[in-house]
Amino acid sequence: MISLGSYLAISFALFVCGILVMIARKNIIAMLLGIELILNASALNFAAYTKFVNNNLDGHILSLFIIVIAAAEASVGLGIVIRFFQLRESIHIDDAATLQN
Amino acid sequence: MFTNTLFLLSAALTIGGALAVVYSHNLMHACLYLLASLFGVAGLYAVIGADFLAATQLVVYAGGVVILMLFAIMLTGGTGNRINRYGLEKIASMGNKKTYFFAGFAGIITSLIILKIIASVLRAQPANKVLEANETTVNKLGVLLATDHILAFEISSVLLLGALIGAAVISRPRKERHD
Repeated sequence: MISLGSYLAISFALFVCGILVMIARKNIIAMLLGIELILNASALNFAAYTKFVNNNLDGHILSLFIIVIAAAEASVGLGIVIRFFQLRESIHIDDAATLQN
Repeated sequence: MFTNTLFLLSAALTIGGALAVVYSHNLMHACLYLLASLFGVAGLYAVIGADFLAATQLVVYAGGVVILMLFAIMLTGGTGNRINRYGLEKIASMGNKKTYFFAGFAGIITSLIILKIIASVLRAQPANKVLEANETTVNKLGVLLATDHILAFEISSVLLLGALIGAAVISRPRKERHD
């Protein structure tokens, strides 16, 4: 039951959920939640391949760096969201269309 | 037995939490479901013997990222949203019958392609090793971080410093003009 295939399936489900959140939600913070799900899916893949394919710990190192980068991304992204809210009084993604035309 | 139970619980928590993030109508609840999903991922790390990764996942996500997101939701949740108090659409999906038809068709095609690709990977999968007694990985991880991956380690520290300064600069309060 605990195999590479099941881990890949769980990671795939996480990835699809993250993509769905990023596509279907119109709220910027909700889209950041989807990005966290996607990053977790990739980190889980690295750890699973370390366990089931080769037993050196490089996958764990990569997962650690993914966690670090996710934390940095969340802090900067939420800073941008709060600044946007100060300027526009909204966190709806359709209001962030200044550069569109 | 214990690892099997832990694996099943963690997998259910992970996938259920992720689905709840997709389908929840309330952004605050969605953030808490994300927390549940991240706990599940930490449990999955623990099952395959990545103890340091599990601990880091719990500390960084539960202690840092989710709390940060909750703060941001509460700071921005009050006014000016179109749909409801937290700015979520009432229906998570959008589109009409035509787009559903084409999206379903494209989804079937894509899933067939992915199955075709994954089949070879699964067939070539090495014989699953029996889970031996999990040894601790902290020692080896520390040695690897300080020797083989020292460049990435330093670069990530510079990245964190840049993120700190950038977040402070971006979200600083607006200057009052006195003239």
